[in-house]
Amino acid sequence: MPDAAGPAVGRAVEDAFREEWGRVLAAVARSTGDLDLAEDVTSEAFATALRTWARDGIPERPGAWLTTTARRHATDRLRRRVVERDKTAASARLAERVEASPAAEADPAADPVGEAVTDALTEAWSAESADEDLLALVFACCHPALPLEGRVALTLRSLTGMTTAQVARAFLVPEATMAQRLVRVKKRIRTTGISFRVPPPQLRRERVSAVLAVLYVLFTEGYDAWAEPAGNRDGTTDGTAEARRRLADDAVRLARLVARLLPDEPEAQGLLALVLLQHARRDARVGPDGVVRTLGEQDRSLWRRPEIDEGIAVLDHVLAGRRPGPYQVQAAIAALHSDPPSPSETDWVEILGLYDVLVDMTGSPVVRLNRAVALAEVAGPEAALAAVDAIDDTTPGDRRSAAGGGGSLGEYHLLPAVRADLLRRLGRTDEAAREYRRALEIVDREGDRTLLERRLADLA
Amino acid sequence: MRYLMLVLDTPDDPGDTEATTPIEKWAEKVYGSGAGIVGDRLRPQEDSVGVRVRRGEVLVTDGPFTETKESIAGFDVIEAADLDDAVRIASEHPMAFGGAIELRPFWTLGLDKHDDKNDDKNDKD
Repeated sequence: MPDAAGPAVGRAVEDAFREEWGRVLAAVARSTGDLDLAEDVTSEAFATALRTWARDGIPERPGAWLTTTARRHATDRLRRRVVERDKTAASARLAERVEASPAAEADPAADPVGEAVTDALTEAWSAESADEDLLALVFACCHPALPLEGRVALTLRSLTGMTTAQVARAFLVPEATMAQRLVRVKKRIRTTGISFRVPPPQLRRERVSAVLAVLYVLFTEGYDAWAEPAGNRDGTTDGTAEARRRLADDAVRLARLVARLLPDEPEAQGLLALVLLQHARRDARVGPDGVVRTLGEQDRSLWRRPEIDEGIAVLDHVLAGRRPGPYQVQAAIAALHSDPPSPSETDWVEILGLYDVLVDMTGSPVVRLNRAVALAEVAGPEAALAAVDAIDDTTPGDRRSAAGGGGSLGEYHLLPAVRADLLRRLGRTDEAAREYRRALEIVDREGDRTLLERRLADLA
Repeated sequence: MRYLMLVLDTPDDPGDTEATTPIEKWAEKVYGSGAGIVGDRLRPQEDSVGVRVRRGEVLVTDGPFTETKESIAGFDVIEAADLDDAVRIASEHPMAFGGAIELRPFWTLGLDKHDDKNDDKNDKD
């Protein structure tokens, strides 16, 4: 196929990179247990593809070709490593372990790479084993024994093939900081003995939650960027906002992947539905004036209907299984917000009922705050304000349980912001102004700040 | 991969001691399967003895070194396939319910020269 040369090859490699990076990396990581090595040879395999596909044509199954090539590179490197280690280790052994028994001095050249690793590296490629490898990689990257920041960065790097520089940019940290974070987390995988294996059944539930939590953090990171103006205040753009927003796309893609790999985990489907439904509203989150729009204020014609429909379809399917969980409930709430053509038709009674369920499931104060917002629509601002104050009173008790359930309200600008909105609706203007000012002191997002400033100005 | 399981008493976080299997059952399973290498309950902290050498002098002290409420009640050395395997074993220990277990992976210097083949692969940093 000599006609495949030039731009077609470049495109094919690019496509393969997006589709296959994670799979290729996962296959090598699982066979060797060495993520650094896997990263190196996966890059090498793509470089090899760029050269040889131009000459020999694009293979029928790029993923299989790349995996086989990466495995071959891995075998070569491991062999070389053994030779080098022998050279330096031989003298060290002579000096340090002269009295060691001959058995401990067994000739490593007899089994240069280790039989198990060699077998795994020469294993035939199949779609099922590729999925299995990928799932094992996801579980390893999201292992709860790793620090959360490291889990998120490593998941992104390993599953999308983003470079360290790209990951650093998306998380707004210097490249050196991100490089160090990734080195540390990979070292911890080695030293604590995390293997590239699907966890045993007894640990599966917790480990699936850990994976979903990482994906949702990733999504939120990107989705938050949609609530900020795309450019700087002076109208220029440096691409940072786009880089961050793309995280949400990546998270949706990964949620889709995990939902496919874990078909029997309702919460994996629930998370997919949730991110689809939220992401569908991205274009409407900030108005043309750069100010954040609340759900009620958003221009619904900007919502991406096909994505909402897909989210609802995923949700309906999983809810039919009757094994509810927090992501499914959150998705159900998002669906109720997405459905009506105008905010006035929102079914707040149903939403409030779902928040009650969610409070029972998580005990999270953030959820209770959102419940209070729904309560205001059902029972009026007075009742909602009492509910908000009740959260405040019990916050110390809630904090402990929140360690597992997520979210404490300590420095959360939405607590005073919600209270301010409710006080405004009750006509208690002075108190509302005080709460808006409190929220402004702790708000960190530019778009939210502008919204609060506008609300405060409207009071006068 | 070899791990030291530190079995901790956590009086500040007593957890729930119901629904636990007796320690004998756990030991039978873990040591019976070959995962357990050595382990025991330890005498309380007040029976501990400190040894340190300062300026060439051996200093022996009695009693606990620190005033932490958490204390090591026992230990087990286990050989596990990987961290998940170790977590599984630790999560079945009765003290994981009433106290806490700290898993410490071995560095495996191999100074005791035991000839366990697995040890060689464990740490290559």
